Amino acid sequence: KEFLDKKNPTQLGEETFYNTEVQVNQAVIGIYSQLQDIIADQWLFQEFITDNTTVHFNEGNRGNGPNIESIEYWQYNSNTGKIYDVYRRIYNALGNINTVLSKLSETEIEASAKSRFEGEARFFRAYYYFLLSQYFGDAIIVEESIQDPSEAFEYSRSPISEIYALIENDLAFSISSLPKEISASEAGRLSKGAALTLQAKVSLTQKDYVKAKTVLEEVIDLGIYSLLPNYADIFDPNNKNHRESIFEVQFQGDNDLGESSGFIYNFYPLFSQGAVTGFSGVDGNGWNIPTLDLINSYEEGDLRKDVSLSEGYTNNEGTFVDVPFIKKFHHTHSVQGRPDDNWPVFRYADVLLMLAEAINETSGSTNESLGYLNQVRERAGLDPVSGLSQDQLKDAIRHERRIELAFENHRWFDLKRTFTPSELVTFLNAHGENERANPTTSRGQIGFSPGDYKFEAHEILFPLPERELLVNPNLKQNEGY
Amino acid sequence: QKQIDGVVSSSDGTPLPGANIVEKGTTNGVTADFDGNFTINVSNDSSVLSVSYIGFSTKEVVVNDKSSLNIVLEENAAGLEEVVVVGYGTKRKRDIVSAVSVVDLKEVKDVPATDASRLLLGQAPGVIVGQTSGRPGQELNIVVRGLSSLGADSKPLYVIDGFPVGTSTGLSIDPADIESMTVLKDAASTAIYGARGSNGVILINTKQGSEGRTSVTLDVVSGLQQVPDSRREKMLNAQEFGQFQKESWIDKYILNQGREPLESEIPLRIRTPEQYMTSTDWFDEIVNDAALFKKYNLTITSGSEKTKSVISMGYLDQEGVIIKTNFERFNLRANVNTKITDEITVGLNVTGSRTNERFIDDGSRNLVVGRALWADPREPVYNPDGSFNDYIGGYGGEGDLIFGSPNPVQLLHEEKNTRHINRLLSNAFIEFEFLKDFKFKSLVNTSLIGSRENSFRPSTLAANSFNSPPPRDAVLSETYTEEVNWSTDQLLSYSKVIQEDHALDVLLGYTAQEATLRNIDGSGQKFPDDQVQFLQNAEVFSVESGESSWSLLAYFARLNYAYKDKYLVSATYRREGSSRFGSENRWGNFPSVSLGWRVSDEYFLKEIDWLNDLKLRASFGVTGNNNIGNYRSLSTLAPENYILGNSFQPGKVLNSLANPQLGWEESDQYNYGLDLTIFNNLVFTAEYYKKTTKNMLLPVNIPVISGFETTFTNIGKVQNTGLEFALGYRKQITDNLRLRGNFNISFNDNKVLEINGDNDEIRNGGFYSTNNVSQVGRPIGMLHGFRNLGVFRTEEQINSSPTQDGAIPGSFIYFDANGDGEISYDTTDWVEIGNPHPEYVWSFTLGADYKAFDFNAVLTGAENYDVYRNIESTTLNLDGVFNVDVRAKERFRSADNPGNGIVPTSNFWKWERESNSFYVHDASHMWIRSVSLGYTLPLDEGALLSNARIYINADNLYLFSDFPGGNPQVSTAGGINPGRDDSAYPVPRTITLGATLSF
Repeated sequence: KEFLDKKNPTQLGEETFYNTEVQVNQAVIGIYSQLQDIIADQWLFQEFITDNTTVHFNEGNRGNGPNIESIEYWQYNSNTGKIYDVYRRIYNALGNINTVLSKLSETEIEASAKSRFEGEARFFRAYYYFLLSQYFGDAIIVEESIQDPSEAFEYSRSPISEIYALIENDLAFSISSLPKEISASEAGRLSKGAALTLQAKVSLTQKDYVKAKTVLEEVIDLGIYSLLPNYADIFDPNNKNHRESIFEVQFQGDNDLGESSGFIYNFYPLFSQGAVTGFSGVDGNGWNIPTLDLINSYEEGDLRKDVSLSEGYTNNEGTFVDVPFIKKFHHTHSVQGRPDDNWPVFRYADVLLMLAEAINETSGSTNESLGYLNQVRERAGLDPVSGLSQDQLKDAIRHERRIELAFENHRWFDLKRTFTPSELVTFLNAHGENERANPTTSRGQIGFSPGDYKFEAHEILFPLPERELLVNPNLKQNEGY
Repeated sequence: QKQIDGVVSSSDGTPLPGANIVEKGTTNGVTADFDGNFTINVSNDSSVLSVSYIGFSTKEVVVNDKSSLNIVLEENAAGLEEVVVVGYGTKRKRDIVSAVSVVDLKEVKDVPATDASRLLLGQAPGVIVGQTSGRPGQELNIVVRGLSSLGADSKPLYVIDGFPVGTSTGLSIDPADIESMTVLKDAASTAIYGARGSNGVILINTKQGSEGRTSVTLDVVSGLQQVPDSRREKMLNAQEFGQFQKESWIDKYILNQGREPLESEIPLRIRTPEQYMTSTDWFDEIVNDAALFKKYNLTITSGSEKTKSVISMGYLDQEGVIIKTNFERFNLRANVNTKITDEITVGLNVTGSRTNERFIDDGSRNLVVGRALWADPREPVYNPDGSFNDYIGGYGGEGDLIFGSPNPVQLLHEEKNTRHINRLLSNAFIEFEFLKDFKFKSLVNTSLIGSRENSFRPSTLAANSFNSPPPRDAVLSETYTEEVNWSTDQLLSYSKVIQEDHALDVLLGYTAQEATLRNIDGSGQKFPDDQVQFLQNAEVFSVESGESSWSLLAYFARLNYAYKDKYLVSATYRREGSSRFGSENRWGNFPSVSLGWRVSDEYFLKEIDWLNDLKLRASFGVTGNNNIGNYRSLSTLAPENYILGNSFQPGKVLNSLANPQLGWEESDQYNYGLDLTIFNNLVFTAEYYKKTTKNMLLPVNIPVISGFETTFTNIGKVQNTGLEFALGYRKQITDNLRLRGNFNISFNDNKVLEINGDNDEIRNGGFYSTNNVSQVGRPIGMLHGFRNLGVFRTEEQINSSPTQDGAIPGSFIYFDANGDGEISYDTTDWVEIGNPHPEYVWSFTLGADYKAFDFNAVLTGAENYDVYRNIESTTLNLDGVFNVDVRAKERFRSADNPGNGIVPTSNFWKWERESNSFYVHDASHMWIRSVSLGYTLPLDEGALLSNARIYINADNLYLFSDFPGGNPQVSTAGGINPGRDDSAYPVPRTITLGATLSF
């Protein structure tokens, strides 16, 4: 009998894990780690899809482009691979979170550690359900660890209100259990401020401005966050987890630990042959480059422009190439492909702008709402704004968020939140026409497809992946697909 | 009374000692002596002598007036008395009641085979042997009776001298050492191998010594290999490609600007294709037109009454037809057995081998074989100073965007991929005979394998990704593995003939086997220079190690019973446990039964002279398949690490679910057969089988909301039904001329009966590449995509067709499968566009001996199947970023210049590159696999040499096929993804000269 009992010596098994605090901590770190993969592609669904960025058109390579380009051109459908990828990754992370939560309830570790672990896991669960509801609308809620795969066929989509209820419930727990401050040795772990900020974002999305305002004020009242004087310092890898940062995804570059951040290589221009990357002959993938529209919307004298983007580069032959690229996350690193940049998820400037928005929506353009906006403008070297109507302030805040938080994956949710669906359709199609008429990069002799940059109302939500519909025929596709 | 003196010999002159000579109709008989001589007294001149010998056809001779007779017996065509190796034993061929094919090693002895798999080509009906690549040292792909599993591997089990070594011999066996090869095809013959029997079993036994004088045999083979011109894809030369680039630019200009460009508007780089006076044929540059093949073997056999031995040494050296690739093997073998007493025999077979290989990866456009097709022909191999031109293409200028690539020739010279494997394979046994009819045999088998794989890519090479010129960071990877595989068998057998009519044969056995694989992998990048190619010189490196093992235990029994040689029964049973399955489902049962009826021995047929043997048989058995990898039933936690506090923190994520119920994949197989021998020289065998595989270990798609994409479950059902026919003929035409012929043909019908519900399917492939789809009711891995209806000629035609967003004149017309008036840019309009399974495969062997000459030819063929040439989405990619196939000249340019109506426009990529039937080609073929001509030197009696033969052999001589790739058997993915061609290592034609000298 024992002769046939073989265990994999290179891996731990579920039955012997999740028992001690060290093990549970490792399982929670596993949850943090899964966010790295999700963040790495998040630009596609929250930035690239918007008027902020576009593709560095690659005339020669028409093979791999369409999967990614379909998001830029709003040509996505239920077979778009990247959409399945994000759906899969999020539910994969949720599955792991639910496993950890169910194991956690059975383990006998110290109560305060247990409570903090639970708060962390439930923050992530809330965050992922928020993403799901923003991407897909109604979503399947799984709150338990599925042990028998056949059970997975029995779930169906829950209305968005139930998703919000789940998020509220999880965040309430996280807010109460997460520590206010994080010691330097644990920098990168979730704090109460992160949970409050997520709650505020969710409330704002639900148009519960009163709650959003209350929660955001709580963040401020924590008294531990403030704007950094210098915008560039926010993104400097030598200055990670600073006092403006509320939550950022941790990476570490230039070593063999496998934790470096590669996203900037997706954003570097094509054919730049090392002139941008700093590594001889190494190009970028040319995705997610700033649109001319964004570049032109910076106000004169805005200190953030130079930090955020570059309008071109000088190639190895000494010629200026007018292909713009993102500079925010571009920092010198010594090993090719292994940058050291963290990814900001929530930072204090976002809190201030959300607060301005929440107050404007309830009380209009007041000294209070203008004040929060002007704090952000002041750091950017811009004059304060004043004397705006409620609608004007709404536009001003949207614009400020676009500039302040450019390339940080806020734009799509901001657009969805602050425009009505029909306004959004009009807005995007205007941008699309503009981009068709005056593309950010040259398209050589290749024209647009007639369907490129035509946004239809149903495209505000992504389609459920075809694979999921095939596996589970009870699932209903979003309307319009 | 009359005395006759005579001699009995076989047709090649060998005396037949012990031959029976009987005066017909009397009891008067004698046997021939050691030299085949006999003396018999017969009654008169009209007496008839009946001369018989085991394995030979009985001959009747009228005495007439002769007093001395020279009687030559012909080998029995059916070889009915031949002893055939079967699972855990041997059996007379005439007693076999299941589907078993024996490889005729005489027919393949001249083939330049590097390993056993090549010997099977064309030899056994129902055994499909595919030479999917011509890489030296590549084992051929063997499928017995169709793909039977969607989840596990469908490769057969190899058993070497009774040791089940796995689904590959690992090239450890020198073909010269092989005494016999048997393929067990139906479940009745393979069920005794239990959970490894469902894909067929190939039994290989190596040569054993025999009593007699010591003999020394030397085999020497040497030859040349090349890729025939007819099997190369034809690409544009420099001037043609320059012209193509210019025309493509002009066509795009006209499309976008509505007018022809002025000559002065054409970018300078592509304005004058006439400037290209020289051209590089990259494929021609990377092939070796005279690749050497050398093979030597020295075998010494000797045997006394007690001890018998075989010692052999072999050396093989094969250059690849791609430059800088080769395969080399040294092998030694000693097989010894000795009788300690009359009852006790011990034996030991040991073989050690070392293989050295320099190889390339193939099977993708970005690997060197594919790259040599599409690299820019306008670029030279060398710079004027003799150094390599280290970056091909990649100008990035307007109108000429050809992708930058490493120089394929430089790549082959400077990138080193080597593999070195040491193998030690041994079998030791002790056998007791006791109580007259009992035998007990105990065996221990071991296989020890150590390997080292090393690959270094220097900084001087451009990267494999497009447009990445040198210098790059050098990359090194190094892998060491150790594999220990052992088994032990205890076999008790009883054999008895009771009252002449009842022959009984019983076997009881027990076996245990365990294998452990350990590895250590290191990789490094960024070297200060390319000189010292070891890990510690890398600035960045990583190391991983691993261990994986499996084990099995089994009890088995077999009963063979024959009544009067007429009614034959065989039954086996095996109970097996395997570590690979869930703790709650670890043991499986594998029974089989087969029945045979020798109709020819019944009274109503016994008198028919020309009917030598007619046997009907039927069998049923259950087998399993455990080729699923280790630890599938266990949950695993994978490392998922993170950074906190700016320092590394190990994390863990559950990455698979435990399934303690995971159990056996099971195949039920029925087999019905007929064996017929008539006129002593015509042998016919027919088989019908139906094999149903169920409870397959399949990664079933589950909703990802479970946290996982797939889970391994016992699910699904696949059925293979088939017919196999074999016809053999052997005849001594005149004293000097003998003819042999064998023809076999097999039909297999493969069908998926169940997956996971009726709508599920298994789909492998992308939107822009080959798709193999397995659906219920259809064969495994059918090719899917858009059905191509040709090329649009005009806007009017586009407007009156189902909508294809963005289509322009010259785009492919796709079939609107769902009839909704729109070809959507996804898989909704996809249909089956090809079947990668041949309707039938056949082979024909023709042999003739005339005086001292012998001739042998093998033809093989397969009909009605398709291959998706994914490489053509590169070699017929008309973007101007790759060099293109000559068929691109026939492309659509305008309504007035529409080309051949098959090749699309170069103006737009959309509606061209999606998986579609344009890339599907019929791969039906007939292949002259080998032709050999030998001459046996006449030798004086008592000369130093006892036998000497020289021969010439042509392997893969000529291919008849309309398939545009070089090898219609190509399968760059294999398994359940058949019919893919992504540019594999080309299959050479090999011409060898050989000599066999015996002393």
